[in-house]
Amino acid sequence: MSIFEYNGSALVAMVGKNCFAIASDRRLGVQLQTVATDFQRVFKIHDRLYIGLSGLATDAQTMYQKLVFRHKLYQLREERDMKPQTFASLVSALLYEKRFGPFFCQPVIAGLGDNDEPFICTMDCLGAKELAKDFVVSGTASESLYGACESMYKPDMEPEELFETISQALLSSVDRDCLSGWGGYVLLVYAALLTPTEVQEKILKGRMD
Amino acid sequence: MLLLVFGLSFLSFFPSLSLSQHFAPTRTKPHHRISVSLNLKQRKQREEKRRMMMKLDTSGLESFSAAVPSAMAAAEDQLFAPPSFDLPAGCADFDKFQMEAKQTLKHAKGTTTLAFIFNQGVIVAADSRASMGGYISSQSVKKIIEINPYMLGTMAGGAADCQFWHRNLGIKCRLHELANKRRISVTGASKLLANILYSYRGMGLSIGTMIAGWDEKGPGLYYVDSEGGRLKGNRFSVGSGSPYAYGVLDNGYRPDMTVEEAHELARRAIYHATFRDGASGGVVSVYHVGPNGWKKLSGDDVSELHYKYYPVQPTPVEHEMVDAPPA
Repeated sequence: MSIFEYNGSALVAMVGKNCFAIASDRRLGVQLQTVATDFQRVFKIHDRLYIGLSGLATDAQTMYQKLVFRHKLYQLREERDMKPQTFASLVSALLYEKRFGPFFCQPVIAGLGDNDEPFICTMDCLGAKELAKDFVVSGTASESLYGACESMYKPDMEPEELFETISQALLSSVDRDCLSGWGGYVLLVYAALLTPTEVQEKILKGRMD
Repeated sequence: MLLLVFGLSFLSFFPSLSLSQHFAPTRTKPHHRISVSLNLKQRKQREEKRRMMMKLDTSGLESFSAAVPSAMAAAEDQLFAPPSFDLPAGCADFDKFQMEAKQTLKHAKGTTTLAFIFNQGVIVAADSRASMGGYISSQSVKKIIEINPYMLGTMAGGAADCQFWHRNLGIKCRLHELANKRRISVTGASKLLANILYSYRGMGLSIGTMIAGWDEKGPGLYYVDSEGGRLKGNRFSVGSGSPYAYGVLDNGYRPDMTVEEAHELARRAIYHATFRDGASGGVVSVYHVGPNGWKKLSGDDVSELHYKYYPVQPTPVEHEMVDAPPA
């Protein structure tokens, strides 16, 4: 098995109408053995920006710590939060710095930009950005996820429908992967008209085998 | 060899046929032999001709690669060398190639099966997942194979290998019954299989099976694998999830259990293995082999078992594994 399949992971992010959702599985394993069923892979950068990191778990955690550090410095200098597009460029640059000894993680970035426009993108472990308008996937279950998202996705979904779609796509994909699953975690962010952005976090009941 | 014999006999027939054509029965004149007298030159020519005809043309087989050490000879070598071709890829070092071929099958024992003897017979249980590396190819594979109405075999390793050889074993058991007018013992059946697998040792078969049954001596359980090993025992578990199953099985095992208790122990052991092992999952099947043969006790989905053993408690969303407080 390759280094990307050492811990096992599944990540997906989808765009809806003025909202986005990012979902991950909850398994941490050591090859075939499951070690934890409550592992966090989706991290908050600021209220309107989240990053999910798949691949080797230690690299995912280190990458997250480096990014939080860089974002806090940015906040001190610029006195504002980073835009998602800027953050994606930052992640890409940090990954390419390690071109000849990379971090073995593949990030999925999801955030709300200007005018509450949802933004999602993914990268490979060297920082090649892939912007998408509908959904992005990453992890050991990525091929199944591509298939599930392709068939279940519709543009301009309302938050409830988006939540349902992303949950079903994630659960049905990890059921075909030995190395990911054991529950799911979904985070839905939408810009409501009057109140500030609302965030819903839910844990999914999935197959535990 | 046979061909040569045929050829010779065919040749011996042929001249007699031609002779009979010459000597037709309706000949009127008496036959006299004509003796040909040749002079020396004609005789020599005739002999030469015969030798030329007899001599086989072996010019194609001669190789000129002998001891002429010059550049011309090297060129001649290439021109006149016997035709050759590159060995197929992977055959230059055949041992390494075979090792690599077997390595690709190494992952294949991704499964959990177990069997144990207790005072009421034998319990056999297995999961139902088939995986290829990280991909789950099926969640509904039958891993307990019914060899005959009183013997079961479990499947771990290559699915094709297990299915084929178990069916083959069933055939041999039936032939034994017909030849000897009595059922084969579990000892005998497992020995048959072990001997077959031993003869294929090193060729890349991947089988880790348990033969469980009830014969005249009572319950019997043997472990047989493709390395040629055969072990008699009371408790076995085979596959990548076997360490987890052994933990639960060894803890809860008592020789005097009711069928219900033994059933629950087996189901629990396989469930725990499917939880921890990525290559096991799907449905737990549990069979019981008693004096009247085997009977399937249950087939439960492992995920439903999880929520039955550990119902969901409503808790607030956990925030774990976060070192720095969120921004």
